[in-house]
Amino acid sequence: MTALVIEHLEKTYTDAYTGDEVVAIGDVSFSVSEGEFVSVLGPSGCGKTTVLNTVAGFVRPTSGTVSVAGNQVSGPGPDRGVVFQNHALFPWKTVLGNVVFGLRMKGMGRAEREARGREYLSLVGLEGFERRYPHELSGGMRQRLGVARVLATEPAVMLMDEPFASIDAQTRRRLQEDLTRIFEERRPTVFFVTHDIDEAVFLSDRIVVLSGRPSSVREIVEVDLPRPRTWASAVDHPGFRATVAHVNGLLAEGEAEGTAADVE
Amino acid sequence: MSDLPARGGNAPAVPRPGAAVPRRGRTGSWAVDLAWFVTPLAVLVALWAGAVAATGVPTRVFPQVTDVALALWEMAVSGELALHLGASLYRVLVGSVIAVATALPFGIALGASRALSAFFSPLLRFSVALAGIAWIPIATLWLGYGDGAVIFIVWNAMFFALAYNTMLGVRRIPTSLLRSARSLGAGPWRLFWEVLLPGAMPSVISGLRIGLGYGWRGLVAAEIIATHAGLGYALFLAQTSFSTDVIIAAMVIIGVLWLCTDRLLLAPLERRTVRRWGMTSGEG
Amino acid sequence: MAVDSAEHTRKAGSGRPARAPAPLHRRAWLRLSRNSAFRTLGPFVPVVGLWWLIAALEVFPPAFFIGPDRVVVEFAELLRKGVLPGYLADSLERLAYGAGFGLAIGIVMGFLTALSLRVRKALWPILLFFQAIADIAWLPIVIVWFGFSLTAVTFVIVYTVVFPLMLAVVSGVEQVPRELVLAARSLGAGRLRVFWEVTVPGALPSIATGVRTGLGYGWRALVAAEIIVGTSGIGFMMFDARRVGDVSQVFLGMVVLGILWYMLDALILAPFEKATVERWGLVRGMEDDE
Repeated sequence: MTALVIEHLEKTYTDAYTGDEVVAIGDVSFSVSEGEFVSVLGPSGCGKTTVLNTVAGFVRPTSGTVSVAGNQVSGPGPDRGVVFQNHALFPWKTVLGNVVFGLRMKGMGRAEREARGREYLSLVGLEGFERRYPHELSGGMRQRLGVARVLATEPAVMLMDEPFASIDAQTRRRLQEDLTRIFEERRPTVFFVTHDIDEAVFLSDRIVVLSGRPSSVREIVEVDLPRPRTWASAVDHPGFRATVAHVNGLLAEGEAEGTAADVE
Repeated sequence: MSDLPARGGNAPAVPRPGAAVPRRGRTGSWAVDLAWFVTPLAVLVALWAGAVAATGVPTRVFPQVTDVALALWEMAVSGELALHLGASLYRVLVGSVIAVATALPFGIALGASRALSAFFSPLLRFSVALAGIAWIPIATLWLGYGDGAVIFIVWNAMFFALAYNTMLGVRRIPTSLLRSARSLGAGPWRLFWEVLLPGAMPSVISGLRIGLGYGWRGLVAAEIIATHAGLGYALFLAQTSFSTDVIIAAMVIIGVLWLCTDRLLLAPLERRTVRRWGMTSGEG
Repeated sequence: MAVDSAEHTRKAGSGRPARAPAPLHRRAWLRLSRNSAFRTLGPFVPVVGLWWLIAALEVFPPAFFIGPDRVVVEFAELLRKGVLPGYLADSLERLAYGAGFGLAIGIVMGFLTALSLRVRKALWPILLFFQAIADIAWLPIVIVWFGFSLTAVTFVIVYTVVFPLMLAVVSGVEQVPRELVLAARSLGAGRLRVFWEVTVPGALPSIATGVRTGLGYGWRALVAAEIIVGTSGIGFMMFDARRVGDVSQVFLGMVVLGILWYMLDALILAPFEKATVERWGLVRGMEDDE
């Protein structure tokens, strides 16, 4: 069953300063199956976040369609929870208040949603922090909470927008391993945007490599890496290194082309 | 008293999409800006004229737009306007120059030491709460009715808010900035001009805003109570003779003057410093 | 941000290596200096002492400057006569009416203005202009309209509170991070939910500032109005005393006004901010240099 289908997505902006038309997304099509982890990878400024925002319903595509679980996307909705780069937690709600937010919006009863909230907090390793406020958490913990908040509503797709980009390297590794563990346990459908090749390869089942602006799908790379995954086993796995090298090559080629185009 | 809208907690590290940047981009044409500013005010004036005409309220109570315009014109021609305007502007200018000259060094000196700022913080907050109008009786007792007392009130109204905010601003300069300046060889004098003053700027500007707000109100009140010239006095005089047209004319002038101070003095200062440097400052 | 302040604390801590073997009196001092009541009220002790000293040495003639002792005597005297409680009640009643109506009108109107971009853009210059006409300048016309009455005073205070508050609500709503709105919507919140759960709390830091500014202005307007309208109240008491050259009542009035504001701040405004904005980490605490 496919959870997410993107067909011939195009997005054109009008630049606020110059008034020029900027093509952010040229022509992007791909799909994500249920229970699959797909990363979108590309050079910075290639519009990968725009793809995510379109799926989330924050941005309207210029043309093309996005459908989730068979329904065409027309605006933000609880079937597509977003984990933001800057976590976007509600500062005025406790950790528990943040986790149960989506459940409250669904109209779930207090006892039930709190039980569910606690379950997901313990899944991401935040038990005991229910009464804290987001500003009292470390960066890594905030992002765990961001993940728990989305997973608790059991969306059709979880959208993650470079969630670990502003987190220090060691914590990032831990979070990536935890995310993999959670994914292997629960099998949510994940759409993950990143510019970190290692991260993409380590986490994903498939990687959608985008070209530079205006972006289009350069190649969809299958990651052949057994699960459960840990960093210790992954770095030694020949499949991991080969895939990283392959993706690296794709991006480097794209860059070379981009420079050539610039010179023209 | 956080008169300073300090935002830190929820400010995203990356500029928010769709917040400041595109808006500034869209406002590129100043003519459109001006239209957005003038039209609502014009509509307001039209509504006023229409309402007075339609309800037939006696113009002694609520003057027609034309009456006010006429009163304004007469004041201008008779030289009264220049007299009052000159007196008020002179007092605000002298009072605020003295306030800036005294409050800035004082605030920075306090802010430079943790112990001093901890000691003075409650005192200054107390004084800010009291500054300005509450001093009018004592100021007129000490200095008599006249320019002296009014200038004292303007100074007093501004001084504490400005000193307090400057102190807070200095306290908020990251330690790393001070250390790096020192390790690059900056002496105390240099440190003052190159790090402390610009670092405290966002806070200084909001202190100026708050202080001028108090000072301006203090001026009007003091002029109503304690002088024989100035816009406040003009208001008072008009009230005793029930000339509502002159009262409203004077009110409009007071409003326009403050808008000019804000747009021509504070906003450019803010644009050239804080905004240019990408620091935030309270919009108030 | 939490991370910053944590780092800040650590740095400040490591800057004091003598912490562990500190002698007893130093430790007692440290504990005392952590006490917030001591930290706020302590500095007033030497200041009052200095005031007393200057008055006792008669640096200024006693007709212009009196010490705290005379103020206390005057206070007891006026309390005994019942003048002070009466005036105080009058002032507080006016402030309560003015602030109550002002807050209600300002917040509601502020949100109505803020919710639509067009309305906001259209009303912004009008708000700025009305905010610019210093509230006290309204007093003469208000006296013409309503006479020397409570209505006149209340009108001015309401006016004073409403405009800073509306401006604060509008800019507060504008400051709510867009990401939070998007997050709420993608978690299934409708427009009304977004308003109550995101917009209102997100605008609260700015509103809290606006309430403070508004009340600060309202307070001053009250004093000015009492001086000018001149029937009763603390402002009237001070100016009446000034007219007959009774400096002690002028001093007393100022002290009473200061203490009142402090109580208003300590009992109402500060606890509200502590429970909301500061608790959520939206504002760095005032005394954050510890």
